[in-house]
Amino acid sequence: MIDFEYIRATDLASAVGAGAAASTRFVAGGTNLIDLMKLDVERPSHVIDINDLARRDPSLAAISELPDGGIRVGGLARMRDVAWDARVRERYPVVSQSLLLAASGQLRNMATIGGNVLQRTRCPYFRDTAMPCNKREPGSGCSAIHGINRTEAVLGTSERCIATYPGDLAVALVALGATVHVHSPNGQERALPIANLHVVPGAHPEVETVLRPGELITAIDLPALAAARRSLYLKVRDRASYAFALASAAVAVELDGRNIRDARVGLGGIATKPWRSREAERLLVGKQATEQTFRAAADAALAAARPQRDNAFKVTLAKRTLIRALTEVTA
Amino acid sequence: MRSLNDREPIQPGDDAPDFAFAYGGATHRLFDFRGSPVVLAFHGAEWDPARAEHIETYNKLIASLGGVAGARLLQIGGAGPWRDLSFTDAALSLPVLAADSAVARQYGVGSEPAVFVIDAGGVVRWSQVGPMSLVSPTDVARAISVVAAPFVHEPTASTGEPNEAPSAGWTRRDFVATALAAAFALALRPVEAHAERAARLAAPASTVRPVTLTVNGRQLSLSLEPRVTLLDALREYAGLTGSKKGCDHGQCGACTVHIDGRRELSCLTFAVMQEGRRITTIEGLASGEQLHPMQQAFITNDGFQCGYCTSGQVMSAVAVLDEPWGPTDDDVREAMSGNICRCGAYPGIVAAVQEVRRAQATNGGGNRQ
Ligand SMILES: Cc1cc2nc3c(=O)[nH]c(=O)nc-3n(C[C@H](O)[C@H](O)[C@H](O)COP(=O)(O)OP(=O)(O)OC[C@H]3O[C@@H](n4cnc5c(N)ncnc54)[C@H](O)[C@@H]3O)c2cc1C
Ligand code: FES
Ligand code: FES
Repeated sequence: MIDFEYIRATDLASAVGAGAAASTRFVAGGTNLIDLMKLDVERPSHVIDINDLARRDPSLAAISELPDGGIRVGGLARMRDVAWDARVRERYPVVSQSLLLAASGQLRNMATIGGNVLQRTRCPYFRDTAMPCNKREPGSGCSAIHGINRTEAVLGTSERCIATYPGDLAVALVALGATVHVHSPNGQERALPIANLHVVPGAHPEVETVLRPGELITAIDLPALAAARRSLYLKVRDRASYAFALASAAVAVELDGRNIRDARVGLGGIATKPWRSREAERLLVGKQATEQTFRAAADAALAAARPQRDNAFKVTLAKRTLIRALTEVTA
Repeated sequence: MRSLNDREPIQPGDDAPDFAFAYGGATHRLFDFRGSPVVLAFHGAEWDPARAEHIETYNKLIASLGGVAGARLLQIGGAGPWRDLSFTDAALSLPVLAADSAVARQYGVGSEPAVFVIDAGGVVRWSQVGPMSLVSPTDVARAISVVAAPFVHEPTASTGEPNEAPSAGWTRRDFVATALAAAFALALRPVEAHAERAARLAAPASTVRPVTLTVNGRQLSLSLEPRVTLLDALREYAGLTGSKKGCDHGQCGACTVHIDGRRELSCLTFAVMQEGRRITTIEGLASGEQLHPMQQAFITNDGFQCGYCTSGQVMSAVAVLDEPWGPTDDDVREAMSGNICRCGAYPGIVAAVQEVRRAQATNGGGNRQ
């Protein structure tokens, strides 16, 4: 790891001001950034520790009620605290489950919500500086497309990058339609739908989000949503725990008898960004909650899949994951 | 290969050889003292603890050390009769050892007088072997402070002024500032087998900063670059090697410690980020000789084989019982999934956690000591 200048931010304005400088990174839980710094994938000259911001302003790590019945989660709230929060568990089971099925107990005690949604791909070529990677070194080529690509994405890929977005929480958040609050270096606050936070790689895999340098995630709002109470996160992986998703489904359904009044579908482990499948949602809403309906929705969700040599299994796996999630959540 | 008898004296930069010694009715090892600087003094055969000026010298040495570092003095007699010495400052622990020429040979000093300053990581940082009959305590004290070894600050009564002039027992000849300077050059010169460690110790001052960590209830003052992880600070700078490095990437749990009472991975956080937080390592879990119930349960239930993952498992397990998990074996497996065991001691680990959980439920007692 190259050496760097460590700065402990004490207030938001100076944090985002300093954060806007070139080659600067915020560190929150550190569980993704420090990992990548050890690999020399991240080589910041300045690292700004934003943890003290929450000591000055506890709302940055708080979980609080919104007037409309939603819940606001501070950007510096730890995964553990959000996962076990009684209100989140009751009103947003999919959020709690996506967190508890992620990483490990130790990592969840460290990692923050802001850092979590911004975690970077686990593509083995991205993490190996000896290999070409367009995301790490624009223009150097994609090693995964003709390499070992079992864990890579089948949705949202481009000829330049097929790296999977690895996180779980953001998949639940795109399904629910959460809102991300950002503090900008010019002092302005802005809010954006989480679905607009991440971008697909296209011609520029090095660009992963719409955040500008220095922008800091201060909070994420979980919307008041009837379907959220009947929600579920199903994660399939190579071992039973402590592993990233090969495929996952975040589903939320509002039922009227067996009729589906509202449905939300997020897919993880198979796409280059947290994937919301509006195609699947359209085929669910207004239909009966039957296996046939679920199958049609799953087929639609994966219709655009572009599998590689080693990951065609993900198409089938993702469909089955979604069907099972919908079956369980409507049972 | 050289025989132990004719080996060269241990040099600055070398690891201090470990040895066992009896003190206070128990057997200790030098390695047990990791985490604090240690001064190891070998006296020639002529040294006599019954002589007033020698006791005075000893007192001065102890006082200077206590003043700078809370360092312990391990006194090893070269030969002859031995007895316990009493000192005014009871805050200092002072093993007084029986004569042990085997240890002197391990250090390559034979029957010569010698002093070794060993840092908290167990590396010899300064030494004086040879003709002088005794070494200035002021210089030894300075040796400890100047080489920027990590110090353990424990409240000690002010027992002496390190800068005081040599006392009655000292001759001008013994006060060797120039020899000391030469020894420092040695200490900071990369020694072949330890080039990397020496380079780190002599890192450019640009980003090195003082970092105070609260570990197991004690304040550790370290000089660290920001890129030093908490795990490396504990292991390599503070000499607390109980926390293990398995993967260094958050994938195995061997480095688990408690931070403000929660289990976290010391390999994925920088030590500078942990100033002001309460860190507990496996070394701080037992109360004196009394093992933490979880440590005992791991022993009783065969919760380990090689033991490499064990400190992380135990730290994790203790914290798990403060998290809102369910009571089943499956709950324990899920809660403990962040700790990998290559030996596959999982059934014993689950049994240990369950045993402590049941005992707590019966006693209604808390988890933490
Ligand atoms: C072994 C292992 C297994 C894992 N398994 C899973 C898993 O199964 N599922 C899963 O979802 N995740 C998993 N993770 C990833 C983990 O969840 C993330 O590393 C973590 O959530 C990141 O949060 P952090 O606070 O530690 O982020 P950091 O490492 O501190 O930061 C990550 C990035 O976000 C930026 N950042 C942080 N906070 C903010 C903010 N408030 N505003 C703007 N930028 C910010 C940082 O600059 C950095 O670029 C795993 C990680 C490891 C090491
Ligand atoms: S060494 Fe920290 S998790 Fe493996
Ligand atoms: S006891 Fe050997 S790794 Fe766990």
